[in-house]
Amino acid sequence: MELFSEFIKNTGYYLVAADLRYLIMITVGILFCYLSIAKRYEPLLLLPIGFGVIIGNIPFFKGFGLGIYEDNSVLHYLYFGVTTGLYPSIVFLGLGAMTDFTSMLSRPKLMLLGAAAQMGIYFTLLSALALGFTPREAGSIAIIGGADGPTSIFLTAKLAPHLIGSVAIAAYSYMALIPIIQPPIMRLLTTEKERCIHMPEDDRVVSRKELLFFPIVGTLLCCFLAPASIPLLGPFFFGNLMKVSGVVDRLAKTASSSIIDTATIFLGFTVGASTQADYFLKPESLKIFFLGAVAFSIATASGVTFAKIMNLFLEKKINPLLGAAGVSAVPGSAREVHLVGQKADPSNYLLMHAMACNASGVIGSAICAGILWSFMM
Amino acid sequence: MPEMETIKGIEAITMHNGWAMAVTGAMIVITGLSVLSFIISKLHKVIAFLENKQKKTTEEPATKNSQPTLAEIFSDDPGETARNCQILTTELGNSFELCSLFSIFHRHNLPHPHITIRNLRSAGFLVPQKDGKFHWKSL
Repeated sequence: MELFSEFIKNTGYYLVAADLRYLIMITVGILFCYLSIAKRYEPLLLLPIGFGVIIGNIPFFKGFGLGIYEDNSVLHYLYFGVTTGLYPSIVFLGLGAMTDFTSMLSRPKLMLLGAAAQMGIYFTLLSALALGFTPREAGSIAIIGGADGPTSIFLTAKLAPHLIGSVAIAAYSYMALIPIIQPPIMRLLTTEKERCIHMPEDDRVVSRKELLFFPIVGTLLCCFLAPASIPLLGPFFFGNLMKVSGVVDRLAKTASSSIIDTATIFLGFTVGASTQADYFLKPESLKIFFLGAVAFSIATASGVTFAKIMNLFLEKKINPLLGAAGVSAVPGSAREVHLVGQKADPSNYLLMHAMACNASGVIGSAICAGILWSFMM
Repeated sequence: MPEMETIKGIEAITMHNGWAMAVTGAMIVITGLSVLSFIISKLHKVIAFLENKQKKTTEEPATKNSQPTLAEIFSDDPGETARNCQILTTELGNSFELCSLFSIFHRHNLPHPHITIRNLRSAGFLVPQKDGKFHWKSL
């Protein structure tokens, strides 16, 4: 009877009664799974994260080597890829092998919108410092404005590992909530007439040689500028070179399918599991969520505003909605720009132009991560 | 020992050098992407320039050989065609077998060598000799 009683005391049912925070987090995990399956909100990310949240919040007896924060546990080993920045690098390799830069190379001026949308990062850096976060924590929170999950995780792992769970959940949540966050900001900052601006279909044909040169030029320029971004941009451009070279199709295909999928599964699952209630449910997490929303909104607004400023000087006006795609949430923000543009004028096709800004945003946010990391070294 | 109070607001930003970090960071990323944008806007011109240069160097030996192009060889005027074919076959000497002529046409990737030879024969530009060889009609 005593043995049975001891067993009962070790079950999750008994332990959860002592700390209801776990139940809250399990509910959040179920909500994420629901949103990914029923609403199809970023399912590739939210489903592994959501299930990870459920797994990570099943209460257990500390010291058994089960939890993600306990040495020698399986979850701890899997989490190693997050804390070292390994998974984000692998994800970037696959991302590079999936990215088509044709659209960006044919419209280089749209790259500037990718730079402008990174202003949300620096605004949030100031806000986080003002709220009392340390510079390293502020840098980790600010990168949420880049709207790039792997970049956020990478930088947080380097600067403030204790915030990985909160930052990752905030980053991925806001990426999933793009259809809710971005359109009102876009509509608020643009007039109906501006939203109807058509973009030229094809500025020029991009040659294969240009596509081959770009990853090399991009690596040299960006990595020399911010060497701390090498772990992200190095694999990114390498993946792209494999894709465009056409001589290692097998490798490019593997990088853009099996490798990125494997890394995404473990990244999402372990980040979800890292949101253990006793580590995650703190007032700081709420502040991080608030700042993340601010970062994301400012990033969108600064991209749109910059596009409007560019229009003051350009003879051929660009659609300012494209500025919102300067955040690196690929391809969610590009899709949203396209949809908002189509609502204003159904014959307006902005998707390819928005993808150009998106691709530039990925590079921009990785550079920002490198810059922030080097500032805090 | 009393807990140190966390500094907040503008004071915290100033203390942690936040203004400088934000301004410098923003400037670096904008400059970086602007330079990259400028470079890729010129990339196709650089590639075109390099390709033209390469083309010129490969074209030079061709000029030395003064090999006519297909359009030049097969003009609408049969006499002109015969004249051009004659230039290509100078290495054969005054008299030659038709199979040697065919080999040269084939080597130069001229289309339809059989038809061309037949037409040149029927038009009288290729004159048969009694020894089974041919020579060009004087043009």
